Amino acid sequence: MVSGAPGMVEQLADFSGAMRTHGIRVGLGDEIDAATALTHLDLLDRHELHRGLRIAFKVLPDAWPTFDRLFEEYWGGTVAPRRTVPKQALPRDHRGPLQWQWDGQRVHLAALDGPEAPSGEVPGYSPEAVLRRKPFDQLSASELAAMERLLARLAIRLATRKSRRLIPTRGRGVVDLRRSFRRALGTEGEFLGLARRARALEEPSLVVLYDTSGSMDSYTRLLLAFAFALRRVMKRVEIFAFNTTLNRITGVIAPARIAQTLERIAAGVPDWSGGTRIGACLAEFVADYKEMMISRHTTVVLVSDGLDHGDTDLLVRSMRDLRERARTIIWLNPLLGDPRYRPAAAGMQAALPFVDHFGPAHNLESLEGLLKFVA
Amino acid sequence: MNEEIRAMQAAMERGGYIAEPAIATAVFLAKEMKKPLLVEGEAGVGKTEIAKVLAKVLATELIRLQCYEGLDTNTALYEWNYQRQLLRLKIAEREGRDPGKLEELIFGREYLLERPLLRAITRREGPAVLLIDEIDRADDGFEAFLLEVLSDFQITIPELGTIRAEHAPLVVLTSNRTREIGDALRRRCLYLYIEHPDLEKELRILHGKVPGVSEHLARAVSRFVQKLRGRDLRKLPGVAETIDWAQALVRLHRDRLDAETVRDTLGCLLKDEQDLKKTGEDAVAELLAYASAKD
Repeated sequence: MVSGAPGMVEQLADFSGAMRTHGIRVGLGDEIDAATALTHLDLLDRHELHRGLRIAFKVLPDAWPTFDRLFEEYWGGTVAPRRTVPKQALPRDHRGPLQWQWDGQRVHLAALDGPEAPSGEVPGYSPEAVLRRKPFDQLSASELAAMERLLARLAIRLATRKSRRLIPTRGRGVVDLRRSFRRALGTEGEFLGLARRARALEEPSLVVLYDTSGSMDSYTRLLLAFAFALRRVMKRVEIFAFNTTLNRITGVIAPARIAQTLERIAAGVPDWSGGTRIGACLAEFVADYKEMMISRHTTVVLVSDGLDHGDTDLLVRSMRDLRERARTIIWLNPLLGDPRYRPAAAGMQAALPFVDHFGPAHNLESLEGLLKFVA
Repeated sequence: MNEEIRAMQAAMERGGYIAEPAIATAVFLAKEMKKPLLVEGEAGVGKTEIAKVLAKVLATELIRLQCYEGLDTNTALYEWNYQRQLLRLKIAEREGRDPGKLEELIFGREYLLERPLLRAITRREGPAVLLIDEIDRADDGFEAFLLEVLSDFQITIPELGTIRAEHAPLVVLTSNRTREIGDALRRRCLYLYIEHPDLEKELRILHGKVPGVSEHLARAVSRFVQKLRGRDLRKLPGVAETIDWAQALVRLHRDRLDAETVRDTLGCLLKDEQDLKKTGEDAVAELLAYASAKD
């Protein structure tokens, strides 16, 4: 395919390998495209080669700096190609499985064989109705397990919404002429009944932003458990944790078990259980992820008590940006479960005008209230 | 530079599109490698224009499919002409035709309404340029369907059978990146990302697109906009906005920029209330100082 350029294909393969090592996704198809492109390019013109390869390898703009650097390295003809050591995998957790535990004051995680293993707690039957109203911060260890199952069920219901696309239906809907005609042919051109189409069920996309600051501690873990359940049933869900910085934790959650994952997240998020700078974190989210993740389909769920230590102006600006783009913004505040609570915190006040639904998140019943806003 | 790429660049320029080498290279490769070209970039950098000028350069038809949420195959591919079919059925009934033959009768090519995708592959006079605009607005499902059409340029209509492309069209897809395009589709295409133009390019575009603009005004306008793009705005003005603004100024017979003119016409550039508010008198004064400086 590539003629008159011995070694060119090998060089291309090396280059592709280097790009993969540096996190640019390159498939075999891209390599073939690049090799084909080489036959059309003036190989003596470095700039043209650079442009052409970037087009043929389909490099997204965020990866341009890396691409440019590697291009210099591999095609600049000055430095011999050298390989870098691939990133190391996350260290394995060698301790035993963790479990939710209730120490009388708050829920926390502990290793099963640890000294503070539950003692005297009788794993009992929890009637669902009671469980649904019970505040998260008052759950016993066994209730927590039941709660996780309930949350998973709720997640499945959340994960469906109606699309604008129309698909055939037996019930009500708009008339589908194409299918009606086909049917009529079967009955000698008589229209005995009309075929119809209705809106398809569609997976909504959901972005969940969790406040993991100290004031939220007793709720965070269960609410995160809910997010994990969502992650299991929905394809398009993104989960972030924030306190003083923003951390995308979607990737961390994927396959592992809840308890271990939580530990890993807690280790990875600086300032877990520390203070909050909601405005700054939201601004960061808007700057880095808005374009990619927020669309007209997206429901943004913010889980925070609104106790902000940062800049309120920044919070307002970020909320406005989100508002413009997202389908719905839901703010869940666990403190709302307390009848004496008034949303007086400055951050909360500033954010409220941009929120479609402001609700409690202290027990399962309140989370179920979410259904009508997402679906 | 490859002579053919240079020729493509010159041809595009004659067609009224100032193409930098990266754009000419991408278009040239797409044409030679017979692959769709996916063009991304911010609003107003001239993504759609590429397809238009390409049709002009190749002296062929431009077939455009505008994407939107809920776009389905009825609108993108084909639809039957139901009125005609009904009429034909009635006539057949009068004539006492054999009911078994009805199907053949009304599912012929003459009852088929061709929508953009079908038209692009059935065009007989040579390959068309197919512009699939704002693909990011369509559903994921449509993207998957498109993938199928773009991979072998054939379309199956249950009543008619498979229609193969007479000439594979040259496909240009554009996206504003409001959502990420699926990897599968991107891999099927060549990829071009267009950035805002630099000063020299923007100047040349202005001279090409705004008749009657003086060198002096064009330079001031370009410099103003270039500097404006460096500010923290929510929606940066694209070339399209620069052209609008220059046209407005020419129409208003302004030959130089001053604070008052800018204030009256800033809406051509900034189309967001917040951005307008943020660009107050001080900011404008600063931008003007830069715009009117010698270099």
